[in-house]
Amino acid sequence: MLEVKNLVVAYGGIVAVRGVSLIVNPGELVAIIGANGSGKTSLLRCISGLITPRSGEVYINQTLANEIPSHKRVSMGLAHCPEARKIFAQQSVLDNLILGAFVRTKKEKMSKIHETVEEIFTIFPKLKERQLQQAGTLSGGEQQMLAIGRALMLKPQTLILDEPSMGLAPVIIDEMFNVIENIKKTKTTSILLVEQLAYRALKVADRAYVLEQGLVRLEGNAKELLINPEVKAAYLGVNAH
Amino acid sequence: MNQIFQIIVSGSIQGIIYALIAFGYNLTFSTSKTINFSLGNVMMLGGVIGFSLYVDIHSGNLLGHSYLFPIIGVLVAGMIAGTAIHKFAIEPSLKLKSEFTWVLATLAVGIIIKNAVEQIWSTGDFRFPSPLGDVPFRIFGTGIYPQEILLVVVATIIVFGVESFKKYTIYGKAIQAVSEDKETASLMGIPQHQVVRISFILSATIATIAGLLVAPLTFVSASMGSSLGIKAYAVSIIGGLESGKGLVVGGLILGISEFFTARYISSGYKELPGFIILILVILIKPNGLFGKTMIKKV
Ligand SMILES: Nc1ncnc2c1ncn2[C@@H]1O[C@H](COP(=O)(O)OP(=O)(O)OP(=O)(O)O)[C@@H](O)[C@H]1O
Ligand SMILES: [Mg+2]
Repeated sequence: MLEVKNLVVAYGGIVAVRGVSLIVNPGELVAIIGANGSGKTSLLRCISGLITPRSGEVYINQTLANEIPSHKRVSMGLAHCPEARKIFAQQSVLDNLILGAFVRTKKEKMSKIHETVEEIFTIFPKLKERQLQQAGTLSGGEQQMLAIGRALMLKPQTLILDEPSMGLAPVIIDEMFNVIENIKKTKTTSILLVEQLAYRALKVADRAYVLEQGLVRLEGNAKELLINPEVKAAYLGVNAH
Repeated sequence: MNQIFQIIVSGSIQGIIYALIAFGYNLTFSTSKTINFSLGNVMMLGGVIGFSLYVDIHSGNLLGHSYLFPIIGVLVAGMIAGTAIHKFAIEPSLKLKSEFTWVLATLAVGIIIKNAVEQIWSTGDFRFPSPLGDVPFRIFGTGIYPQEILLVVVATIIVFGVESFKKYTIYGKAIQAVSEDKETASLMGIPQHQVVRISFILSATIATIAGLLVAPLTFVSASMGSSLGIKAYAVSIIGGLESGKGLVVGGLILGISEFFTARYISSGYKELPGFIILILVILIKPNGLFGKTMIKKV
């Protein structure tokens, strides 16, 4: 469970997020859509503690997290799959996955971690074939799978995905959304999904927020937003399908 | 022929000393992208503390207790030095975000260590008897001191130990993750400040151990670390800051070329080849002989 209240994020004079409030309930899939530069990534980075907000609050499982450093938010069950994948290029695919479970290794046996690795391999069989390959040599699509797999290694309560479709071929995008839908079906992980592909995101989401220049322009049931004329005009236009 | 053999052996051992300190530079560079320029003087600190716990400074005789004392002494000194350098020189500099503050900060720490040792301990040179004795082995007419063999063995264990730790343990992988991408490492739940601190502790402890190992081969003095620190830095530039193999090769090239110059040209020019090689490498291969080309796809 995740809640953000009146969050303001600024870089020097540039205000990227201007007072955003949102909530992600347990088991829910919430999408954020918005144009380039509307503040989506800034919002997510602030939620996971990579940047400090100018004002406002972030709550993780009802605990005020503003003063909690990013690495400790991970122990609270928050996994963030960042924009542009950010896999550890010099390390093997397997090591990337194991690093995703870093905080679990303190409490759990390595055999448990490897069980999760096998689960990830059933979701992304390609990764199993390439487990000993250096991650930087994977194709873009494979790197994205690895990034999502690595985030899932935490067995997170809340999963943040920043544009998982970025730079991928249509077939791979289908595969990606299938995976997201399957995670949603488990009901154990809530998902906060940022996407440029508004149509795909709204299709799969329960609720959604439309971000415009750092402000929430619209919010509500995803299926309703899908037929909202404003959303249709601005985000679903010609690229709808 | 024998003489050339002797030069190669002695030069290699000198080179391994350089490589060991360069390995220390390499460790903290990978996690913090800074160079700890006080490392040569931290090594000296190891030599001086090891000496003080083993030899009577006035008579030059052994104090008579076990070699375990200096060993434990340099380990503790290394850990304290590493923690302090990180806390007082590196962290504040990195917080400032102004680039290269750490250069001055770590240089200053080195000067402080050196001056403190001169004030508190001595400005003299002292002989440190090797715990293994000072009678060289003779192999085909080439002399090797037992201490030199000890140094090579311990250096090898340290380098392989640290490299295996980085490769095969989760904490080692975490160190590599921090060196690749701090921010993403923290998204994995890795406490990056702690990782950087540990790398400084590890690196300083390697330096103090090196000091203890080198002391019987040279003399112990407050200035024993100064030029060694600079040459090890040259080695890490020659070899490529992020390449373990490069450091060994770089160290050997420098050590052997110094001994050849000293023998066949003049010992006054001993420092020359190091600087020539360094300048050539910077001109021709700025990433070092074994500098990595990054694999990255966006
Ligand atoms: N580190 C930074 N320093 C200064 N300005 C920044 C920084 N990061 C983002 N910004 C600015 O903040 C605004 C919001 O950026 P952000 O990356 O959050 O947008 P976004 O919605 O994720 O865009 P995209 O869809 O292109 O990823 C932009 O105007 C951007 O230029
Ligand atoms: Mg973005």
